[in-house]
Amino acid sequence: MPNYQLVYYNRRGRAELCRLIFHAAGVPFEDIRLDYTKGEWPGEWKAKAPFGQVPFLIVDGKMLAQTKAVARYLAREFNLAGKTSWDQARADMFIDEFDDISTEVYKFASEKDEAKKAEMSEKFYNETLPRHIGYLENLLKENNGGNGYLVGDSLTWAGLGIANAYDLLGGTDAPFENFPLLAGLIKRVRAHPKVAEWINARPQTPF
Amino acid sequence: MPTYKLVYFNVRGLAEHSRLIFAVAGVPYEDFRIERDQWPNEYKEQCPFGQLPFLEVDGKVLAQSKAIARYLAREFKLTGKCSWEQGLTDMIVDEFSDILSEMRFYWYESDPEKKAALNEKFNTETLPKHLGYLENILKQNGGGEGFIVGDSLTWADLAVANSNDWLRLVCPNPFDNFPLLTGLIKRVRETPQVAEWIAKRPDTPR
Repeated sequence: MPNYQLVYYNRRGRAELCRLIFHAAGVPFEDIRLDYTKGEWPGEWKAKAPFGQVPFLIVDGKMLAQTKAVARYLAREFNLAGKTSWDQARADMFIDEFDDISTEVYKFASEKDEAKKAEMSEKFYNETLPRHIGYLENLLKENNGGNGYLVGDSLTWAGLGIANAYDLLGGTDAPFENFPLLAGLIKRVRAHPKVAEWINARPQTPF
Repeated sequence: MPTYKLVYFNVRGLAEHSRLIFAVAGVPYEDFRIERDQWPNEYKEQCPFGQLPFLEVDGKVLAQSKAIARYLAREFKLTGKCSWEQGLTDMIVDEFSDILSEMRFYWYESDPEKKAALNEKFNTETLPKHLGYLENILKQNGGGEGFIVGDSLTWADLAVANSNDWLRLVCPNPFDNFPLLTGLIKRVRETPQVAEWIAKRPDTPR
């Protein structure tokens, strides 16, 4: 078994999907959380980071960067990427869509003007997000009626991706109220024993 | 051989990487292009997320430009020789997406003064920082006179070469201070299948 180190801050943020993949697969790893207020980042770690950023992965001394590249590598290694080439592409497609949603969230989350922030947040939750979720609900339905998995007939990192997006979107069922298939999928994934165990045990951070 | 149809606007944009992958692989496909002023049309219903591009393979549909490009690269053996190399190619392609995201702040800014300032920042700080990391990664791969990952052409090299076309929309001579990347772009563009495609593809502003 290779030696894995995942380097990020002490938050869920852009590393949580990778952590979920490790835990769902039952693979041990060093969950390095750097405190930038104490100078732990950049510190000596920035020089190791291929693009000078976190998160990045160290596998037996070799570095891999970019959140999704890391997550996909781990998913592939632990048989969570999809069973066929087409399924892998479909999983990639869903992950990219979640990323598009996350990007929208980060836009208003980082907005300093409070009034503008409220406006952006309102638009996101009332218009943008329901539109994205509507598409996802349809695509889930296309997969054998939607009471199983997003892709194929087994858990993939795409399922973990949407279960992770749940936390980013406030950690409540509210955004998924009108989308029963997705709500059901998220519940099922978060109830997966190893996923549930990690969600309960992980450090509690605001984001 | 499956039947491939790539549906996008009549621009290089987010589909060009996939078109380059088809070209290098020598695999025929229908390069379906929709003019902007005819969008949305009946094809929108086929789009998994309501957006272009999408790829149709024997009637099944795939969305998201990078998922499409990666699928094609994998099918045509352009993703690297092992799982780790695949990861490295993904990492490099994602870095270009980050650069594009930063470029979009400038691209979509309507206030002329703010726009000029964003353009300046992108060209003099943001872009060189990213390209510097990429130049270094290329150098670490056996000195940088070959390919950016492993020892053969991958979709990551095509991403580098393709970026020259869209970066020049906002930054004159983006690779001037990066000799290894410049060399790689030249080598890729001179690859016969790539050269042939560049010569015959529709000439569009972007």
